[in-house]
Amino acid sequence: MHPVRELQTHLHRRHFFGRVGVGMAALSTLLSGSSAASAASPAKSSRGLADLPHFKPQARRVIYLFQSGGPSQLDLLDYKPHLQQRFGEEVPQSIYPDERKTTMSNAQAAFATTPSLFAFHQRGESGLWFSELLQHTGQLADELCIVNSMHTPAINHDPAITMLQTGSQIPGRPSAGAWLSYGLGNESSELPAFVAMSSRGSGKTGQPLYDRLWGSGFLPSVHQGVKFRNQGAPVLDIYDPPGVDAQTRRAMLDYVRELNERKFQQMGDPEIQTRIAQYELAGRMQASVPELTDFRQESAAVLQAYGPDVKRQGSYAHNCLMARRLAERGVRFIQLFHQGWDQHNALPNQIRKQCKDTDQATAALLKDLKSRGMLEDTLVIWGGEFGRTVYSQGKLTKQNYGRDHHGNCFSVWLAGGGIQGGMTYGKTDDYSVNVVENGMEVHDLNATMLHLMGIDHERLVFPFQGRDFRLTDVHGRVVEEILRVGNS
Amino acid sequence: MLRNNLWLPTLWIASVVTGAPAADPPIDFSRDVQPILASKCWNCHGPDPQTREGGLRLDQRSDAEHVLAAEKASASELIRRVRATDPDQKMPPASTKKPLTDAEIKVLESWVEQGAPYAEHWAFRSPVRPIPPAVPADATVRNPIDAFVLAQLPSQQLTPSPAADRTTLIRRLTFDLTGLPPTIAEVDAFLNDSSEYAYEKLVDRLLRSSRYGEHMAVPWLDAARYADTDGYQNDRYRYMHVWRDWVVMALNENKPYDQFIVEQIAGDMLPDATLKQQIATGFCRNHRINSEDGSIPQEWHVENVVDRVDTMGTAILGLTVGCARCHDHKYDPLSAKEYYQLFAYFNNAPEWGIGPNNGNSPPFITVPKSWPDLTPEENIARTPAALELRPARKEAGNGLERPQAGNAQTVMVMHEMETPRPTYFLQRGQFDLPDKSNVLAPAVPAALSGFLDRTPRNRLELAEWLVDPRHPLTARVAVNRMWQQFFGVGLVKTAENFGLQGEPPSHPDLLDWLALELIDSDWNVKAVQKQILMSATYRQSSAVSPAQIAADPDNRWLARGPRFRLHPFALRDTMLASSGLLVEQIGGPPAMPYMPPKIWSSISNNKYKQDQGSQLYRRSIYTFWRRTIPPPNMVNFNSAEREVCVVRKDRTNTPLQALTLMNNITFVEAARCLAERTLQQTADQTDVLVSGFRQLMARQPTPEELRLIQQAYETFYLRYETDDASALQLLSVGEQPRDESLDASRHAALTMTMSMLMNLDEAITKE
Repeated sequence: MHPVRELQTHLHRRHFFGRVGVGMAALSTLLSGSSAASAASPAKSSRGLADLPHFKPQARRVIYLFQSGGPSQLDLLDYKPHLQQRFGEEVPQSIYPDERKTTMSNAQAAFATTPSLFAFHQRGESGLWFSELLQHTGQLADELCIVNSMHTPAINHDPAITMLQTGSQIPGRPSAGAWLSYGLGNESSELPAFVAMSSRGSGKTGQPLYDRLWGSGFLPSVHQGVKFRNQGAPVLDIYDPPGVDAQTRRAMLDYVRELNERKFQQMGDPEIQTRIAQYELAGRMQASVPELTDFRQESAAVLQAYGPDVKRQGSYAHNCLMARRLAERGVRFIQLFHQGWDQHNALPNQIRKQCKDTDQATAALLKDLKSRGMLEDTLVIWGGEFGRTVYSQGKLTKQNYGRDHHGNCFSVWLAGGGIQGGMTYGKTDDYSVNVVENGMEVHDLNATMLHLMGIDHERLVFPFQGRDFRLTDVHGRVVEEILRVGNS
Repeated sequence: MLRNNLWLPTLWIASVVTGAPAADPPIDFSRDVQPILASKCWNCHGPDPQTREGGLRLDQRSDAEHVLAAEKASASELIRRVRATDPDQKMPPASTKKPLTDAEIKVLESWVEQGAPYAEHWAFRSPVRPIPPAVPADATVRNPIDAFVLAQLPSQQLTPSPAADRTTLIRRLTFDLTGLPPTIAEVDAFLNDSSEYAYEKLVDRLLRSSRYGEHMAVPWLDAARYADTDGYQNDRYRYMHVWRDWVVMALNENKPYDQFIVEQIAGDMLPDATLKQQIATGFCRNHRINSEDGSIPQEWHVENVVDRVDTMGTAILGLTVGCARCHDHKYDPLSAKEYYQLFAYFNNAPEWGIGPNNGNSPPFITVPKSWPDLTPEENIARTPAALELRPARKEAGNGLERPQAGNAQTVMVMHEMETPRPTYFLQRGQFDLPDKSNVLAPAVPAALSGFLDRTPRNRLELAEWLVDPRHPLTARVAVNRMWQQFFGVGLVKTAENFGLQGEPPSHPDLLDWLALELIDSDWNVKAVQKQILMSATYRQSSAVSPAQIAADPDNRWLARGPRFRLHPFALRDTMLASSGLLVEQIGGPPAMPYMPPKIWSSISNNKYKQDQGSQLYRRSIYTFWRRTIPPPNMVNFNSAEREVCVVRKDRTNTPLQALTLMNNITFVEAARCLAERTLQQTADQTDVLVSGFRQLMARQPTPEELRLIQQAYETFYLRYETDDASALQLLSVGEQPRDESLDASRHAALTMTMSMLMNLDEAITKE
């Protein structure tokens, strides 16, 4: 036998036996990692906080279909039949005062009432109203709770989306997914607890996204969302460099471990053991990602259901199917960001494209989850950062109009994971300008989401700068009215 | 050298001393009681009258005597209520979800029994020079720092570790003072220097290095939230690198800390201000500026001023002043009114709440092309052009106005308007709820200014208050951050919060001693740093036993030397330096090194234009910092995001870090170039491996390590020997051309070997 090969065989055998000795405690930290401060109890962070969940969860995971830019509630979910008769009339100041308008449209000469160009239909046994643009989603009417009374103090994208994701308009707080990772830990030993993905519609270019939307703020950064890239390698640096094959990588990892173990014996720093475990996990991630992203395992029927875009990386349909695959593999918080809903002008044309890009895949995801029995314990949320104005931004014609940002009311829906299907919650006035019944603020939505995950939003806290911070700040109400009966 | 797995007690120099636990010490209000009251009681019974319940406040003794006084604890109303079982009587009420533990109730009982004494918060009293404690004659005390540290060890049942070996020390020092590894020649020169003063000479040499300022600037840039974009929505460009260069120069020149602070807060207002002093005020302009269409300027102007106040609070005072924006501070003696009086100092710049479409926001000044080598005529402060507003867009209906934009030759500065902008109390902190019934005059918080004869009237006098030798916080906060940088954890762990909810110092006397060393040396930063680095405490070995880890996992008691992973900037710079790629050029516009493909364009409306050539290999401090999408290979290793002031970051250990070091183009190219460099130096295979190892680890590998490294190399060589195509693929990573005279298989195998070494824990760790 070649002397080097002989040595290799010997080494590999030793590695095999040696591996058992690589502190099991260290291995158990895996993806969750450990901060220097918690090195003495590294296993803790992967399990989450000891006192969580606070009570029995209804949902084990969240799939959050975030529609970035502010989808028009007037053209999708908040049906206002009476507006048709007021076409072109000035929206009364008493309904819409000037100070709530953004500086993009506040200097317009007129604020013409703009009814939706799109027909609405009642769907399902529950008879919820859906715009014709949401043909496919309408099929799931009886699974959905539509909330028409969401509202936010923000009137511009950056503060509004930051508010939705972190509970504060001003950047610096952890995102909702980071809070869940911190509180509940990670179920997967190969994938992160929190994955974010983004896509762009075929309409106009979207509002920019920022790393802070899946960031960890002041929580340990191990809880930040891992952003799956929308082209190329899904996770940064997940693939070996060119000219390095899996066997070579494995050999290198074995030697890295061997040398690190020697260092640990000499220095005694538990951080070295953690690093050994993290390298093992990195190797496992490298092995698991190709399997995760291989859609050839999916049946033709499934692929067809999501639509032709499903095979194109970076499309909304692709991300929807990826979301289901991540959910199956134990990822706790999966968030899609779909750009392109910021329709200041040419709204009818833009929103048609936008819905064509998203409606079928959204419905397919819900059906797919349901057929696998996963909708029961998966909370699905659909919505954007605010709504749009009842008055037209720019010129109103019979066939065309635009809508500016509107924070006083907008529509989201929730499904699965403990949500009462087939219901509408909250009401707006005849113009869809102000909430008149059962308002739901951002903190209420987040409190309800945490509740379904088994968390009392007032008790999931992190001490920072001398204060106990929460996702819901000092606000938030669990909206029990939308929970499935017997679940509150 | 350790040859087996067993823990041999004799190896552990800092072994655990056995002894009986000390008797219960008397209750110390600051240490024992105040944290309980602050976190469990003051929310409803504290300084904020808005949320006070039942008219009771427990933060000052004079208002609480009636619930404390009693013959015995059980008769005191306070104890009766915390012991109550009736939910209507029980304190804190269940609805707060913050019940007292039994241990906490016992502390309160003992405290009441001891007469319920209060004490002023330690951090709000001016430091008084402590006398270093006496320690046993045989103890290693190189300077008073060691006496303060050694005095605490017996009560923790710990003993100090011996000094680290010299190779470890030069590597530790070089990382700590320059953010780079020592060269092999520097290591050898130090090992061969038999002079009694060899260590001190080394410290002095490193303190004089121009790499020092580049490295030491990084925590200050994090605190100053320095970046190359405005931070909101489209995250437009700005040009502040001239200010960044000012920081590097100021640190290299060892500008006294008081001047360092005064010039950054109010350099523009100094008599006969120089241009450099004016540029220093960019510190107050590094905050984000919103330029999103549709925004309301008045709203965002308030956010800009708030950010200045909060940054001063965290970076200089070590206080969470921002808590008082919406209501009186719940814990610290700072009212909401006082918050807006601080706000007033920073509210008088001729600025606009919305930024331009790319470019600097007024006020800004043009910087001479000769920067930083200014002639005396050039080095004179200049008046910024007046604010000009123009409609943001022409189309009908858009009411937004934007200011003129400063180009890349400009830098944003502070400037005072002749007619002050009135400052009002903002109810609930909201821009649209000002209390216009009276204009607030600027003032500093009463609790922190008892030593002043009169209230600072403007920003310059505010700065002078900050650096008054009697100021209780400024010097303590500064030396604590130095300690944190060298040891990984500050003497006050909560470097951002010295207030009542912050963690008390592990070594209060040492903290005060260092603070007074700083003040009494006329704020000589390098002198204080040298004291720390000369101490035996700093020079200890960082090897640790399981018992020591159990007794002191975070090394707060300092019975061993510091050991922790490098800062992400130092980590990348180390790999560039080891491979010979690092370009040592100070200052200038930011560089755009390798970044993942479409890093910006995939989620935003901008496109990253990677640099070519030498700009790829500049130190990380010069990397272009886009706030909304910061460089992932820095953020993965816990760099600050630069959105807001940050003075402390956690250090995590994750698989994404492993993926970066193994696969990221920057690190693979560095491994390839390190391999090339060593192959060019020597033909001897052992020498090649040893040289690569020493570039990274400074020390010699042990024979056992060398054997493993050689085996690894041979494994890789077998792989590439018969596969030239793969070898050439690996050797094509990165833009640096390869030396084609080298055998490709050998070079590729050695590239993998060097990559393996770069992935060792030791390679990325200061130890």
